[in-house]
Amino acid sequence: MTRSSRFLVLSALLLVVVASSALAQPEEFLMGNKFYEQKDYTSAIRMYESVLDQGIESAPLYFNLGNAYFKSGDLGHAVVNYLRAQRMAPADEDILANLEFASHLTRVQMQGIELNPINAFLRSLVGQYHLNDLAWVASVLFVLTFVLLIIRYGLGSEHSVLRLARVGVITLLVAACLLTTYKYRDDYLTRRAVIIGQESPIFTGASVSSEIELQGAPGLVLEILEYSDEFLKVSLANKRQGWIQRELVAEL
Amino acid sequence: MRLVVPILVVALSILPCYAASKSDDVKVKVSLSKTTVAIDDPVQLEVRVEGASQDLPDPKLPTLPTFEVYSQGRSSSYNWTNGVVSSSVISRYLLIPQKVGTYPIDQISVVVGNKRYKGNPVEITVIAKGKTSPQTTSQKGVDQSGKTRDYFLEAEVDNSSPYVNQQVLLTLRYYIAVQQYGTPQLIAPSTVGFWTEELGNKTPYYQRINGRRYKVIEIGYALFPTQTGNLTIGRATIQAQVASRNRNRSNDPFGVFGDFFGRGKDVTMHSSPLSIEVKPLPRKGRPDSFTGTIGDFRIWAVSDKKQVEVNQPVTVTISISGSGNVKSVAEPVIPESDDFRVYRSSSSEDINHANNRVSGTKVFEEVFIPRRPGNLEIPALQFAYFDPEAGRYRTAQTEPIKLLVTRPEGYAEGDDIYAGEPGVTIGSETKGIRHIKSDLGRTADSQKLILFDPVYMAVNGLPVLALLGAIVVRRRRNRLSADVGYARSRAAGKEARRRLAEAQKLASSDQSKDFYAEIYNAVTSYVADKLNISPHGLTSEKISQLLGERQADEELVAQVVALMRDCDFARYGAAGGATNQIESTLRRAEEVMTRIEEVRFD
Repeated sequence: MTRSSRFLVLSALLLVVVASSALAQPEEFLMGNKFYEQKDYTSAIRMYESVLDQGIESAPLYFNLGNAYFKSGDLGHAVVNYLRAQRMAPADEDILANLEFASHLTRVQMQGIELNPINAFLRSLVGQYHLNDLAWVASVLFVLTFVLLIIRYGLGSEHSVLRLARVGVITLLVAACLLTTYKYRDDYLTRRAVIIGQESPIFTGASVSSEIELQGAPGLVLEILEYSDEFLKVSLANKRQGWIQRELVAEL
Repeated sequence: MRLVVPILVVALSILPCYAASKSDDVKVKVSLSKTTVAIDDPVQLEVRVEGASQDLPDPKLPTLPTFEVYSQGRSSSYNWTNGVVSSSVISRYLLIPQKVGTYPIDQISVVVGNKRYKGNPVEITVIAKGKTSPQTTSQKGVDQSGKTRDYFLEAEVDNSSPYVNQQVLLTLRYYIAVQQYGTPQLIAPSTVGFWTEELGNKTPYYQRINGRRYKVIEIGYALFPTQTGNLTIGRATIQAQVASRNRNRSNDPFGVFGDFFGRGKDVTMHSSPLSIEVKPLPRKGRPDSFTGTIGDFRIWAVSDKKQVEVNQPVTVTISISGSGNVKSVAEPVIPESDDFRVYRSSSSEDINHANNRVSGTKVFEEVFIPRRPGNLEIPALQFAYFDPEAGRYRTAQTEPIKLLVTRPEGYAEGDDIYAGEPGVTIGSETKGIRHIKSDLGRTADSQKLILFDPVYMAVNGLPVLALLGAIVVRRRRNRLSADVGYARSRAAGKEARRRLAEAQKLASSDQSKDFYAEIYNAVTSYVADKLNISPHGLTSEKISQLLGERQADEELVAQVVALMRDCDFARYGAAGGATNQIESTLRRAEEVMTRIEEVRFD
């Protein structure tokens, strides 16, 4: 088999995979879209959620579900689903725009947490990239670093240009590793929840008889600090902390 | 240098205002709770200092030789209105008159900056005991038999006929003139029909009643009646353990020890129930927007933007601040408007209990979304409340907020956005949110995290191995080029095998003398390479000596010597060796070299 024929076979295979994935859109997803177009948002939500029940997840699915919730007036669930969509496709402008819009309605800082300047800077750098993209960038820089190290220590070639390249690539590698770690922590280790209840008081203690620290609005994003049976300890804007009933929030 | 001029200008323009605000606005108000009192009957003196400065000094009290004076502490409050700070400090003193007479108190003053501010003069008339109308205060502390009491509990309200939802200050005072043990337990009075907020304990102070000195512990409650008519504040109870003063002291010679060892008695005391007549709010003049808030409030609204595109949100923060039941402050009514959609978002409150009054601020955040471009105005928001001091309704209102709404690119008249509430029909496809996606896109499987994928780890592990390999290869090469001995030693085996092969060729071509010479040279140069010395002049004796120095096996040394001697014989002897002898010499040479390989040459 020549090289070119092998390439042809591979691309044909790839085409088949792409085509089949396009064809394999679940019926419920298309039905959901149809209901959405007919402004029957409740039915659209039911359809999209049945796709999720089949174990299928995708950014557009969460996005559409978020839209359906938004249109039906459920700001909290809309934000939850936009955020899930965003995690899968951070660079998608549509998701970003709708999330922004919904968050303006919530009016409270989107992340619910006042970022310190370092965090805010890091988030602005990595916000639009998926963790996988960052991991690959780090990996490429890692390999490049080792190629340069092999040239230096394996082949013994020492040239000022090479030295400069080495310093540059290693600096980039350190930065990429840092950002990847930050992204991983922010996306996967930090637990977040979104308020879905219309009336969602945040209490000073884990009981409804404690004082109300703040009246939360649907769509407000909280960072989860602690779990108890019926309550979550959460942190919100200005690092204020409080307890909220679990049934009033949806975890991301 | 260029900065100095503007700084000077700013400083010079600020200074006069600052000085003016400091000097002009200080006021000292002196008041007495009663102007006519009996001897030993306490009277409260209140000095209120008001000014624009944030750190007002305490007033200076003149010496009052005919009174016992106790400080009851100070409280301060700050107010920020229209960018102007005003603060007030209230100092309270308890005066217990000791002599009959009329005494003016007119020397109370404070010093702010370099100026002294005098308070208004007041006068107090002290009469002999029993002449004032019988008040609870003069009678308190005395039991039915006329003896003074060691302890008692008193409850008092500042207003027994409030309006519904108007704050009533309930003060419990626990008087104790004897030693007490442990912490007294308070059972709070029942306050059915009130919304209650505890104001907390005040610093204990001392008060003289009927010649006895009592320690007084005060606890305050802010009560907001929630219904009209006659309400009762139940009795409060204190359980304490006190020293039993006077108890059969003359009969009990050990009584003093009882006290000494802290053996007190358990006592229970109650305050009297209090009756409160709650007045309904007048119907006359009640604004439509009134929602039941009583007190004294102000309202203002601020928007986060002055200019915005159509359908983009503007947040308006509405703050309602004042004294009264802040928690019951309802969201102000936002008038219906064709210009905006309005969404309520969150509210928060900040409550404090300064000066025994519940006060604070409730903040509402509302999102306004303009529906059309142009110069729009968020109308003035009104907040109606009932002022119990004046006995009438008042309405506070915000300034209207002007907003320049611009037309975004591609905006068409009639575009509308999401309506917010469920069940509201929505117009054409919104400008507000972007439309759904028709394609399901990549599903979750292709979204798996690669970070912990074995392939990813392998990809990153490979260059590490490659670098290690490259370093090992390079080190070896460096040593070969730098260390002749090492290089010769590593090449020795190869060279020897080459010579042996050469010798074998000579053997087959029947040149036995050359064969033996080649074997001889192979062995000597092999040893020379291994030892990194010159092969010239290496005799069998020299080799046996060198091998011996390196602890080589004696048998091996003998073998080498024998082999070399045999080669010499064959080279310089008369007859060429037989074929079988040549082969055995070759094997012996191979064996010898294999064994020398095992000798350490370093």
